[in-house]
Amino acid sequence: MFQTRSGLALATMLAAVLLAGGCATRPGEDDPEGLAEFRENNDGFEPTNRALFAAHEAADRNVLQPVAEAYRDVVPQGIRIAVRNILGNLRAPVILANDLLQGNVTRARETLGRFMVNSTIGVGGIIDAADFWGVRGHSEDFGQTLAVWGVGEGHYIFVPLLGPSNPRDLVGQGVDFVINPLSWFGQGILVDAAGWTQLGLTVVDTREALLEPIDQVRATSLDPYSTLRSAYRQRRGYEIRNEEDRGRIVGPSGVTGFGQGVTQPAAPPARSEP
Amino acid sequence: MTRQPLDRPHMSAMKRRLLLSTPLVAAGLVVLPRLGRAEIDPARATTFIQSAGNELVTAINDPRLDLPTRRDRVAATLRRTIDIEGTGRFILGRYVRQASPAELAEYNRLFDDIIVRNLSARFGEYRGVRFTMGRSQQRTEEDVLVSTIVERPNTAAFSLDWRVSDVHGQPRVVDVIAEGTSLRLTTRSEYSAVIQRNGGRVASLLEAMRNQIAQLAAREGRG
Repeated sequence: MFQTRSGLALATMLAAVLLAGGCATRPGEDDPEGLAEFRENNDGFEPTNRALFAAHEAADRNVLQPVAEAYRDVVPQGIRIAVRNILGNLRAPVILANDLLQGNVTRARETLGRFMVNSTIGVGGIIDAADFWGVRGHSEDFGQTLAVWGVGEGHYIFVPLLGPSNPRDLVGQGVDFVINPLSWFGQGILVDAAGWTQLGLTVVDTREALLEPIDQVRATSLDPYSTLRSAYRQRRGYEIRNEEDRGRIVGPSGVTGFGQGVTQPAAPPARSEP
Repeated sequence: MTRQPLDRPHMSAMKRRLLLSTPLVAAGLVVLPRLGRAEIDPARATTFIQSAGNELVTAINDPRLDLPTRRDRVAATLRRTIDIEGTGRFILGRYVRQASPAELAEYNRLFDDIIVRNLSARFGEYRGVRFTMGRSQQRTEEDVLVSTIVERPNTAAFSLDWRVSDVHGQPRVVDVIAEGTSLRLTTRSEYSAVIQRNGGRVASLLEAMRNQIAQLAAREGRG
């Protein structure tokens, strides 16, 4: 499994890159609208973030996107659904912990019920049986828990290969990994292999789910960088609010959350060429 | 780290209680909305969205229509439903004042073209789409947020909210919010970035918009 040490090294490297790359120019007090926009964008390291975004785009177009497309073309839909369900089920303990840390007993009960049903009747998470009975999955992570606790997000950061983020959500991802009981057990080559397989499938599954949205942004946005930045921050706000409609969880049906929450595959047709 | 708007619901709830306990302020609150824009009735906004939604779904799912015709039908409905000029002005934001009258006129024309092309291309592909009305709630004195849930075959349902405002006595959509992401906020951020990164010139945005329309038209030709 991945060591915490490499995570720490990554964080240090990231901080160094951000500081070295320079900061965005903050408008003066004589430009209140410009200043308001600067605050709204929350992107103090914009020049660096844009450079990282450009690097990510190159890697994505050359590696991630073709792999995700091949995955969709080659692997039958039934298997892709099973993979998504298994990944979601493996994340259930983390979602449960965060439901509880946010004091949301109703959602915690749903997560626990889903985990028990899907792990047994759903044959180890292959089938999302709970969804058939109307208990829809939801996502939760420690970044959201921190937000519920009142922790601010900090400056926006674009992390290559990971996507839009911020210090709060990055810390959240680290904590989510550590608190997942599945990461506590065993060692040796098989456990390592299982861990890397899970990580690899999570990346491919997430990118596959994002094929249409990213195509859409690239085709319709005059500046995909700022579109993604704005969309990410709005969407995180929405995820944190946990909106419900007459007791029914209305969203997110979620693709930003790394494999969990998306219980159905995106429709394969109706996708124009990249 | 800075505190973000997340804390605001609690704060505003507290403030509201404080305010309402002062009779004078409470009286002021009753008067205030009448000074602003015309208020829109949530039931009227909901009916408006329901009929516009039905029109869109009928056009999208009509088996006798080919893709270009579906797009045209969808575009016609969108033009009747959305306050395109007002939305365009909101998105251009502070640059409205910087733009010359000629630039503003061209911006309005280009924006109308882009938003209708983008939305009708997106909706036009939603074959087999269904929608159900969600809860409706009054958000401000000026507009009502009408929620819908959109379902498509083989795709997870997602929530689509419509912000409806009273524009010259008629209900009109002023924003579309997909899973919490507002189209007008995202687009404002995008357009502003284009202007700022090109020396603060509105003309550079217009040029980028013209290029985009050419690309969208080429895509439509292929599709």
